[in-house]
Amino acid sequence: MLDMATLNTLGIRPPNVVMDLERLGTLSASRLSFTRCLLRQMARQRWQITTQRFDLDREGYGSAIYRLQTPNGRYHIVIFSQELTEEKRSDRVIADAWDLTFGVVEGDVEDALMESLAENLPLQEAGRQHPQLLVISRANKSKRNFEHFVEQLASGEQPNPQDLKTAGYLYRTTAVYGNGKFGIKDYFRLRDNLDFRQPFAAQMIALYVLRQFSIDQLEHIAENRAPDTAIKLNSDIQRFIGIGNSTGLGMAPFLINHPLLINHWIHCREQALAIAKVSTVDEAMQNRFVSLCVRALGYYMESDIEDHDQAERNRIVISELETVVSWLQQVPCEDTLWYQLTDWAEAALSLETQELLNSLLIELCPEAVEQLEDDQLVEESMELIPDMPLIQLKQIIETQFDWALSQDLDEPDERYWFWYRSIEKEEPRLGVRGVDQGVEKELSLAIGPRVQEVYKLVSEYLEDNATAVTIEFLMGQPRIVDAVRRIQSMSNTAYGEIRGNLWHRNMKPMHLLRTKLAFLGASRFDPLGDRWVRVTFFQGAPSIAELNAEPLDLVEFDDWSFVNAPNIQERCP
Amino acid sequence: MKVSYNELQSLSRKAFLGIGFSEAQADDAADMVCWMESHELNGLVELNEALQRILADDNHTKMPELLYQDADLAIIDGHDMSVLQCSHLALELAFAKARARGLGILKIRHCRQRQLIMGYLARLAHRGMNITALWRHAQTPLTEQVVGFRANSTVPSIRIYTLEEVPDENKLNTGITVIMANHVDLLPTMRSDYQYDLLARHEESELLAIEVRRRASGDGFDVPSQLWEQLKALAQRTFVESFDGSQLGAGPLG
Repeated sequence: MLDMATLNTLGIRPPNVVMDLERLGTLSASRLSFTRCLLRQMARQRWQITTQRFDLDREGYGSAIYRLQTPNGRYHIVIFSQELTEEKRSDRVIADAWDLTFGVVEGDVEDALMESLAENLPLQEAGRQHPQLLVISRANKSKRNFEHFVEQLASGEQPNPQDLKTAGYLYRTTAVYGNGKFGIKDYFRLRDNLDFRQPFAAQMIALYVLRQFSIDQLEHIAENRAPDTAIKLNSDIQRFIGIGNSTGLGMAPFLINHPLLINHWIHCREQALAIAKVSTVDEAMQNRFVSLCVRALGYYMESDIEDHDQAERNRIVISELETVVSWLQQVPCEDTLWYQLTDWAEAALSLETQELLNSLLIELCPEAVEQLEDDQLVEESMELIPDMPLIQLKQIIETQFDWALSQDLDEPDERYWFWYRSIEKEEPRLGVRGVDQGVEKELSLAIGPRVQEVYKLVSEYLEDNATAVTIEFLMGQPRIVDAVRRIQSMSNTAYGEIRGNLWHRNMKPMHLLRTKLAFLGASRFDPLGDRWVRVTFFQGAPSIAELNAEPLDLVEFDDWSFVNAPNIQERCP
Repeated sequence: MKVSYNELQSLSRKAFLGIGFSEAQADDAADMVCWMESHELNGLVELNEALQRILADDNHTKMPELLYQDADLAIIDGHDMSVLQCSHLALELAFAKARARGLGILKIRHCRQRQLIMGYLARLAHRGMNITALWRHAQTPLTEQVVGFRANSTVPSIRIYTLEEVPDENKLNTGITVIMANHVDLLPTMRSDYQYDLLARHEESELLAIEVRRRASGDGFDVPSQLWEQLKALAQRTFVESFDGSQLGAGPLG
């Protein structure tokens, strides 16, 4: 990472701008997103993925195994497909059966292991999973796409890519579990694993291979349904198919409980943006940026989003992006061009457009950004500084947690929600304070109110103990040790704390979900209310066939953000 | 049953919260148990004992009491609580004294499952402190344990021995003495005028090898089913029963 002095020279954005919850809720995937990083690593290191078993019946039910060979190891992605009645098909986290269940296995899949997987993977949370598994997940068919695509291929017709505008996938996952859940391998044991040590890399490979399975299964069913007429799916359409994901409140606590990791991710993104803004501007660069904007414009114009508010935000992006393209095509190529653009965006354009432009700017400096890729790992460990003068703790709160102190918690709207964990699959939920039951079991996810509590107690203690150190104060206040530890640990970071009141009536959990999903690399955000969102991963990404072909031009291989629907002139291949 | 590190840590933490531990207490207690078990030092046995003792105690509002302190020394009464409940802040206090004065001494009287304290000492050592802790397991025969961490090391040296000659003053001692030094190694070296029998000896290298082997193998922990079920039952105390409104967060109905 760059030091603070260099960052200040580069004009890195301050945390009061970057960490605003609403702004974070408009982030788009970027070159630093984990899907992009993973695919670059795969291509660079010549990873190979092959089908080892494809044992499906005519209807596509059975099992499949894909082998992943890297320079460092061998893995297998094991998939079970089963018939599911319509009544059972649900994206709700409380569901207990799915069309597909799958997992990533480290090493080989011997018969005994396969038996254990067949017994437990379909049960997901209710099973005891094998410690050779790095990831487990499940997925349901997209009702609107899968059957239609089978019919089209069976009848010898290519499906229309425009059908993927609303849901850009054939399968939608609901939860993707890693890190020791239900008996699988702990994430910390992957620290020395050169393939999957980066955050969420193992989860992303599971989705990437599932995408291939969804296409293979589709073609298999079409072939069995009409052997004489069925055709293979056009390769451009294959590329335009992603993997869906349906995410709810379960994802929200991660962002609050991993502030050091979040700080690191955002810091990398902000460094990349700062580097891009000071990069040399020439005509080629200007043209490249225009072409990226035009492609993003196409992506937004094609997105058919059900949610009214998000659709409206997308309409604004389209309008503003058209203006930006027009401006870029007319202004001279000056050294300060990117500053002119971002200053204008901050002053006059919507948050969503601002952050979209920032993501596109990051595309301009691939070499500099790639140096930041390895920086996205950090150990989430917080330690007390017991000998810190208490007055210093007070100063840190006033300096770095001013946003928390400014929340007026006497206002009913400011303390409207409380977070709790439901007994149903132990998932986090939101309750209304004073109305819903469970407030006595509230999760301490809202950092602002905790900081206020610490501040009040510290201030009172200092009145009689002006030279006290932190531990002297805490000996009488054991219940706030966690909050003090967090404040001290975060004092050397800029971007770990999300600046919003998670109790506030107008707080949108969706913003938290989108923040993480953008870092993972999700696109086509389609919220269903404030607590649930559907997204797509890997839409437009190179296929496994392209990866296996060992691409020479890695820049082109990596250029798949904000993909537009392919223009299929000949509907038959 | 086999469980992963993350499962044991997460469920223990929730169970401690269910008992009434504070957030930090629960975090630290879960880490102490996992550290012990990771180094094959009977963390689960100690956890089981601690749970039975805590659950049998009706008074859940007890807190450790600071009996005396000066710039170099602190004496705490643990009121017969487990070190999972009464040690983490006391140790931080000693840490602060050692940082300020070069040497800090802590005595915790009346505390239980003292083995588990090694889990927190490992964290303090990792923060650059040399540490020695000593406690007695039994009075007859007199059995003592000494644990020493080198600054910045993640593992200790351990000695457990019996003394044949019992001192005149030999009352039941459920206390623990911890010495921290900023700049001086405090590793245990057996040197005594009294006749002693070494019962157990763990070198840093041995424990480090266990740490590396367990990390590489990916094996989880073998947790007795009864203990696991008890942890689950305690953790459930932190969850909210399902009601109509709670289903709203479970995902789209459509």
